[in-house]
Amino acid sequence: MSAATSRTYGILAEFETPADVMHAAEQVRDAGYKKWDVHTPFPVHGMDQAMGLKNSVVGYFTFVGGATGLTLGMSMIWFMNKFDYAIVVGGKPLFSPLYAFPVSYELTILLGAFATLFGMFALNRLPRLHHPLLKHPRFRGATHDKFYIVIECVDSNYSGVETKALLEKAGGKHIEMVEE
Amino acid sequence: MASQGSIQNKVAPLTIPGWVKQLPLLMMGGGGLLALVGAFVDTKQFGYSYLVAFMVFLSLSLGSLFLLMMHHLFDANWSVPIRRFVEHLACLFPVLAILFLPIAILAKTIYPWMTLDPALDHSLHVKKVLFNQVSFYVVAAALFGIWTFYARGFRKASLEQDKTGAASCTQTMRRYAASGVFVFALSLTLAVIFWMKSLEHQWFSTMYGVYYFASSVWLALATTYVIALVLKRTGPLEHVVGNRQFHDIGVLFLTFTVFYAYITFSQYFLIWNAAIPEETFWYVKRERGSWWGIGMLILFGHFVVPFLLLLRIDFKLNAAVMIPLCVWAWMMHFCDMSFNIMPVLHPEGFKLNWIDVACMAFFAGVLSKVFLKDLNSHPVYPQRDPRIAETMGVYVEPAGSHSK
Repeated sequence: MSAATSRTYGILAEFETPADVMHAAEQVRDAGYKKWDVHTPFPVHGMDQAMGLKNSVVGYFTFVGGATGLTLGMSMIWFMNKFDYAIVVGGKPLFSPLYAFPVSYELTILLGAFATLFGMFALNRLPRLHHPLLKHPRFRGATHDKFYIVIECVDSNYSGVETKALLEKAGGKHIEMVEE
Repeated sequence: MASQGSIQNKVAPLTIPGWVKQLPLLMMGGGGLLALVGAFVDTKQFGYSYLVAFMVFLSLSLGSLFLLMMHHLFDANWSVPIRRFVEHLACLFPVLAILFLPIAILAKTIYPWMTLDPALDHSLHVKKVLFNQVSFYVVAAALFGIWTFYARGFRKASLEQDKTGAASCTQTMRRYAASGVFVFALSLTLAVIFWMKSLEHQWFSTMYGVYYFASSVWLALATTYVIALVLKRTGPLEHVVGNRQFHDIGVLFLTFTVFYAYITFSQYFLIWNAAIPEETFWYVKRERGSWWGIGMLILFGHFVVPFLLLLRIDFKLNAAVMIPLCVWAWMMHFCDMSFNIMPVLHPEGFKLNWIDVACMAFFAGVLSKVFLKDLNSHPVYPQRDPRIAETMGVYVEPAGSHSK
């Protein structure tokens, strides 16, 4: 089980405490790995920095979605009330960004929220029906009292011997391969 | 700890040049002298200019008082390092009470309703309960009493905790916050109705209190950002204030940019939609002459530009963006207060008068002088707050929970 095959997903190391896994994560980060993750039963503050995670780009999806919603709302109301079927309501102008604003604003929020949700799905590659880690017997501890680091075999830095040695040095226990 | 990296913010140390330290005194003296001359040259203009400056700076203390209350109500830890100077900002109320005296004296010159006969003016007659001279002065005295009570209460408990480290001080401050937040909402609304809205006593707007509240907190956040940055770079807060504080102040700044726009728009939209003359006259007046331009400036400068800039996380942490934006916020708030007050005196349009500048300088000078004196005579951040270690990113293990 030492060599990585095409059927191998990655290598799993178990840690006992949040502090252990955090220090180990710093070492994995510094070793330059990109395709790896930490699994903990609860959020661990400071883990983002320890893993070297950057701010998510999902905000750009939100912005584009919101801007689209605002433009769409304004142009829809302009088209309906001024261009296609001009009708005077309450002595107000046929089109004014003022009365069009509440509806456009709602569309800004709606499309912004959709873009956020689906942008997040796209970035996370969700939904997926199965993940190799879920059938690994030891991984159940991740929802109870154990902390894990998983490094994927597809990472360019991955090497069966060196990665295992790194995790051992970082204090990982029960270092095991995860089958695809 | 991993979060150390973000706490050691890489910014060059800053030394305040000598002439800057003399500024408060110069502004106090120069502005005060000019304003005094103005008071005799053009009493009415002075009254209005002084009112604008007063409302601008009152915002700062009210906004700070609100930030303190929120800090305790949410049991926040990020704002612990900036709490002490916010307490000082809120404790400017007694000074503001003294600075209110010219307004109290000139009330009859400033507020048209004071000289009208309620029997001949229907809208004044129905609002007589509030708009009479006794109410005006009693409410003013009560408001400053209430604000001083809460602001002083916070600072007293906070300074006591520096000495004793007792948890009871935090509990005291929480009690102040829990009761104060209701009193705050009512008192702020009363203040802004009496001192600003009553300039046109015929007008109706149920959103006016929350409108002033939104811009007050906005201004307080802009000021807090600058003070925190200066105190970090000059040394006193070097190791306690980090990216987290600047990020969170920036987030709240963005929040209140949006909140202000939301309230301002709602007020305008309801009045525009209903189109009742009793309400629309207020905006009709403010769409004449250069007031239209000021209105547009507020729309884009008070909302659109800050909103777009503050969306990005890296901008919130970038002094080169944030410092100009915070200075801009002060200018926008000045425009906003002028937009509310000045059309009564100058319906033809916005005109920056030298007395405006003198009054703003005078207020800035007096209040920064008092603020700096307070700042220098107490520890610059809460020394023994239960959350101070946590906020600095240091984990202190609770007694009796040692892991193997």
